[in-house]
Amino acid sequence: MKQDYFSANNIKHIDYKDIEILSKFINPNGKILSHKKTGVTAKNQRQLSGAIKNARFMGLLPFVAK
Amino acid sequence: MKDLGVKNENDSLVDENGVSDARVYEVGYLLVPTLGEENVPAIYGNLKELVSSFGGEMISDEMPKMIDLAYTMEKVTANVRSKFNTAYFGWVKFYIDSQKVLELKKKLALDANIIRFLIVKTVKENTIAAKRFVHRDTFKKRTPVMKEGAENEEVVPINKEEIDKEIDAMVAV
Repeated sequence: MKQDYFSANNIKHIDYKDIEILSKFINPNGKILSHKKTGVTAKNQRQLSGAIKNARFMGLLPFVAK
Repeated sequence: MKDLGVKNENDSLVDENGVSDARVYEVGYLLVPTLGEENVPAIYGNLKELVSSFGGEMISDEMPKMIDLAYTMEKVTANVRSKFNTAYFGWVKFYIDSQKVLELKKKLALDANIIRFLIVKTVKENTIAAKRFVHRDTFKKRTPVMKEGAENEEVVPINKEEIDKEIDAMVAV
């Protein structure tokens, strides 16, 4: 993923409930992918990591998988 | 419980008088799975009433749905620790005064039917992205793959001749 996924798809607010999108940015162990791998802008990467952490708290995504 | 997430500062709604400090908030919550399907709508209605009793103005919401939790959660109620692997997940989005939301948080924390809840600042618009964008991308990617497959089939007979030659060479040695 070289281009910013969120600006490419015109997503202005990253929602913690949108697991389909968020799960693209976690690795098989459930860790958040680095900025280098996601290719997301710095602002969106911050929003993304916040959204993933909120989703984890609500049991929608795992803290640790496997 | 989790603190209020600070996300979109620009979405505050200030009246012409400059008195009101209403913002868009969203409460996501997990209800205990032992409730039973028939009691869920009642609790969902109570929750919405609770929000409007604090002066909240509804924007959108979703009925609690049974989900599998990504990990086991624990909650202690009346000195009994219970574990949950499933829960009813629902959310409500509303305008509310930023002072009132703290009172709402205290009320929600006391509710025995809620395993966990999360209050976030958000925007009025629907934030769940339309899925068609994703599908279009995958379609574009799939078509060239098919063409490559067709080319490979044409190449196969040439490969066989080469293999025959190689075998002949091996046998000669």
